[in-house]
Amino acid sequence: MTVLLLADHDHHTLSEATARALTAAKQTGNDIHILVTGSGVSAIAEAAATLEGISTVLVADDPALAANLAEPLAATILSLAGQYDTIAAAATSVGKDVLPRVAARLDVMQISDVIRVITPDTFERPIYAGNAIETVKTADPVRVLTIRTSAFNPAPAGEGMAEIKTIAVPQNTWRTRFEEETVTKSDRPELASAKIVISGGRALGSADRFRDVLGPLAERLHAAIGASRAAVDAGYAPNDLQVGQTGKVVAPDLYIALGISGAIQHLAGMKDSKIIVAINKDADAPIFQVADYGLVGDLFEVVPELEKALG
Amino acid sequence: MKTILVPVKMVLDANVRPRVRADETGVDLSGMRLSINPFCEIAVEEAVRLKEAGQAEEIVVVSIGPAKAQDTLRQALAMGADRALLIETADSPEPLAIAKLLRAVVEQEKPDLVILGKQAVDDDCNQTGQMLASLLDWPQATFASAISVEGDRLRVTREVDAGLQILSVPLPAIVTTDLRLNEPRHCALPNIMKARKKPLTVSNPADYGVDTARRLTVIAVRPPATRKAGIRVSTAAELVSDLRQTGVL
Amino acid sequence: MPSYKAPVDEMMFLLRDVLDVRSVFADMPEQADTDEDTIQSVLEEAGRFCSDILYPLNMTGDVEGCRLENGAVITPKGFAAAYHAFSEAGWGGLSASPDYGGQGLPRTIQILVDEMLSASNLSFGLFPGLTRGAVETIEAHATDNLKTLYLPKMIAGTWTGAMALTESNAGSDLGLLKTTAKPRDDGSYTITGTKIFISSGDHDMAENVIHLVLARLPDAPAGTKGISLFLCPKFLVRGDGKPGVHNNISVGALEHKMGIHAQPTCVMNYDGSQGWLIGTPHRGLAAMFTMMNAERLFVGVQGLGVADASYQTAATYALERLQGRAPNSNTTSPIIAHPDVRRMLLSMRAFIEAGRALTLFTALEMDKEKFHPDPAMRHAAAGLVALLTPVIKAALTDFGFEATVQGQQVLGGHGYIREWGQEQYVRDARIAMIYEGTNGIQAQDLVLRKLTLDDGQPVAHLFGLIRKTLNTAEPVPELASIRHAVQNAFTHLETVTKRLTDGDLSSTEERNAAAVDYLRLFALTCFGWLWLKMTLATRDNSDQAIRKLATAQFFADRILPQTASLASQIGTGSAAIMALPAELF
Repeated sequence: MTVLLLADHDHHTLSEATARALTAAKQTGNDIHILVTGSGVSAIAEAAATLEGISTVLVADDPALAANLAEPLAATILSLAGQYDTIAAAATSVGKDVLPRVAARLDVMQISDVIRVITPDTFERPIYAGNAIETVKTADPVRVLTIRTSAFNPAPAGEGMAEIKTIAVPQNTWRTRFEEETVTKSDRPELASAKIVISGGRALGSADRFRDVLGPLAERLHAAIGASRAAVDAGYAPNDLQVGQTGKVVAPDLYIALGISGAIQHLAGMKDSKIIVAINKDADAPIFQVADYGLVGDLFEVVPELEKALG
Repeated sequence: MKTILVPVKMVLDANVRPRVRADETGVDLSGMRLSINPFCEIAVEEAVRLKEAGQAEEIVVVSIGPAKAQDTLRQALAMGADRALLIETADSPEPLAIAKLLRAVVEQEKPDLVILGKQAVDDDCNQTGQMLASLLDWPQATFASAISVEGDRLRVTREVDAGLQILSVPLPAIVTTDLRLNEPRHCALPNIMKARKKPLTVSNPADYGVDTARRLTVIAVRPPATRKAGIRVSTAAELVSDLRQTGVL
Repeated sequence: MPSYKAPVDEMMFLLRDVLDVRSVFADMPEQADTDEDTIQSVLEEAGRFCSDILYPLNMTGDVEGCRLENGAVITPKGFAAAYHAFSEAGWGGLSASPDYGGQGLPRTIQILVDEMLSASNLSFGLFPGLTRGAVETIEAHATDNLKTLYLPKMIAGTWTGAMALTESNAGSDLGLLKTTAKPRDDGSYTITGTKIFISSGDHDMAENVIHLVLARLPDAPAGTKGISLFLCPKFLVRGDGKPGVHNNISVGALEHKMGIHAQPTCVMNYDGSQGWLIGTPHRGLAAMFTMMNAERLFVGVQGLGVADASYQTAATYALERLQGRAPNSNTTSPIIAHPDVRRMLLSMRAFIEAGRALTLFTALEMDKEKFHPDPAMRHAAAGLVALLTPVIKAALTDFGFEATVQGQQVLGGHGYIREWGQEQYVRDARIAMIYEGTNGIQAQDLVLRKLTLDDGQPVAHLFGLIRKTLNTAEPVPELASIRHAVQNAFTHLETVTKRLTDGDLSSTEERNAAAVDYLRLFALTCFGWLWLKMTLATRDNSDQAIRKLATAQFFADRILPQTASLASQIGTGSAAIMALPAELF
């Protein structure tokens, strides 16, 4: 059973999502090849080669792959597809964009957002924003999977180095043109993989206060910052910070919700966190129903006290 | 552009809490309120705005589902779509089969642009648009938060994990919508009434020669595991001390 | 936080399963296209508008209120924009005649949209509601010239309407009013006088306000037979149909009042304003009364709507609020577990659903009265409408107000403070018991006029329908105890009705003294009848069926027995009421 896993990275580092998806991939097959795509990605390929359980790193290095555009990326994966029983990727914006394109060409029904591998052809996945869990079994000859990374621990680094092979990238006149990318810069850990996440809601009241209240606390705890949809819609935080059904799904060790009421869409994005802390002045806010620790109070008073208590 | 095609899906209303059937065969939909999938509604709204801006001449909406999905199509017509197609089927086909049916519809209607919701809030697959693009071999721009027409190309801002990505795709193309693309309108009463008279054609999957047999067997649908009840703390100091005890800090 | 969601599923259940409107409309050529899918789309979209746009302005409008600046009324922030959106979306023309740009939909749908408007924002809902009253009056009685000039703009919502009846000395007795109308050479009239309590009398939401004013012609006989009706625009309409010069209509003051703060209730001065006669001289009150049934149905549904808004908040709160321990429980429970909280919520729900059923039943009869091709059907329908109008107006606003108090009580202290909106519902609901004829006046109307109308045919017709439902329910074992309770209530109602119409309580004084209690007995029995009809219409094991059966049982067991006590208190006659000499009060 050979698995092709698409590496997820930002051209500087291999994301932790890849190591998490690898854990799922290992449960679906015993020989795992990882495909690193992009332009100038040899360092990423070397990082991938150190992951435990990878037998081969395939490198597709081509300027056309620099922006993760679906057309060339799908064509690259499809050029290899014949050799694999399973094709998997982390359910990141790249994985979600490209894998269905691969699956359709293979005439395979993709299984999205796998949260548990029961057998190599049977999986659990959330439906209805996590309000139900579906167990599905596929009859397709090839399995195409996206992995919800918050449901799997990252695979550790291995002892040796996997073999690194460069592959030919299909050439074509790709129609999609990359124009620009606005990347939110941050020194903090990445939201999807941070051990601690601090999220703010609309109760913060403004973009300035969102930054000023959450920033120092996140600094102190070395935490990533997240936001509710309401806060993003109100313009307090950029969209890539949104935690929820339609934003990022996170499952850190500690999730602190500040002034977030806990709409069902938000809960879907964080309820698998190991410990959830809710701070809200509305004692009846639904967020308290999922919180391990609830504190009813005004976050503008509680947060400074929290910083003080942390020392 | 001459024609924009917008596929829409009828789903359990997003405000209704889904209830899993006791026999684990799925989520109970009987007697429940069904509505247009919110991402599909955004797709219809975007198409109507493009038409209102003079960028398109006609909007065709299509739904694949039970007879009741006509209500969803009528809503799209009331929002401003011109014509509707219902491909009636009682079994809910998977995204792959839907994409194949939509390919057949595209071959028939020859749209310049297909706008779809990025995912349906029932099965949460997030596949149909990409699969359709693949089957048609069209370029795609998924998770759009802004669209503008530039000659015979579309400039699309996409919501990606790292931030925002802007692509330019030539037409014909596939676009899937994210939440912030627009805020769907309230329909005007005269438009609701006019929508009753707009053309709505009903066909079935066999008319398009598409096999909609399922590839995935649903073994069980269960409610998610529940969390154990939490505790209330009264001060920040108490909270920090409790968290330290768990080892997370 | 609280929110309002239009109960479209409940409404569709009544229309489809209880009243079968599709087959009723099928007999009416003008409504043959009004199918259930159309109705559902209209209701859903109206509900969305109310939840998304009007509901968020309800509390802010209450807090800010209307104010008078330099003689002009300023409505609260957001109202003008919401009204613009409302008109733009065509909601003002829902049931208006297609001849003047309306959609011509039946009253049955209009009244459901009115319920949503009342629930989400009563102050706002009165603007289009009063405009519709004015439109219907103009359409029924005005000259073609006036209709062509005014109706399209009013139906489009570009202009709004106001009804100027009351004066400081002429309230329930309009025969005392003093405003005068003097003929001019050009066939129009000069109107002079002061009116009070004029809802939507002036505002900043539309470009013109069309007042329908009751006034006396110089040769008018005294009393109600000397009142004529006039159309007075705030701005005179120019030849091109646009508003022109100001018509000497001014706002004397804004009334300071208990509720509906976002609704400008004005003292209006007509200082030689130009007006045009509507209908025949001295027959103004009769002209005004042609739309009275519709207006009273509208006011009744205001009580219902506000009660439902209060219920929705109370039910949500009761499910979430953890307080106290339920019987047989060791942990803190949501308050829905407490029997007393359930009692309050069920009382509200039992009234709201039966009240809505009675409203729709009556609205459908109004549609028959207007659209049915068979004159005998129209006549029978008109009789039922006349009979049930005072019942709906008074009972729905009385019980509606009581429901808002219960909805407030469920929240305890949180119901008394402003934050949750429950205290506003109590204040807002109160007016509906007073205006458009106080509930006391409604009870008089029922007992003194409607019971004997047409030789008692309407009441016999209604009782026949109740008997028929009792017979239909007879073979259904699971409805036996509900049916039994309804049968008991009905027996009380029949007995008391007989005593009031040709028995020992039939003198005017006895009927007067019995009126309010009798109306309540009448309403409760009708609710019981409709609960039986609703339970007969549920078939499956859906949540809705479970809810209907449980609520019907609650109503039968815990509320309907009140009919026995009402019958018994009416039976004691007027003696205890009239015994105390007036000077000893």
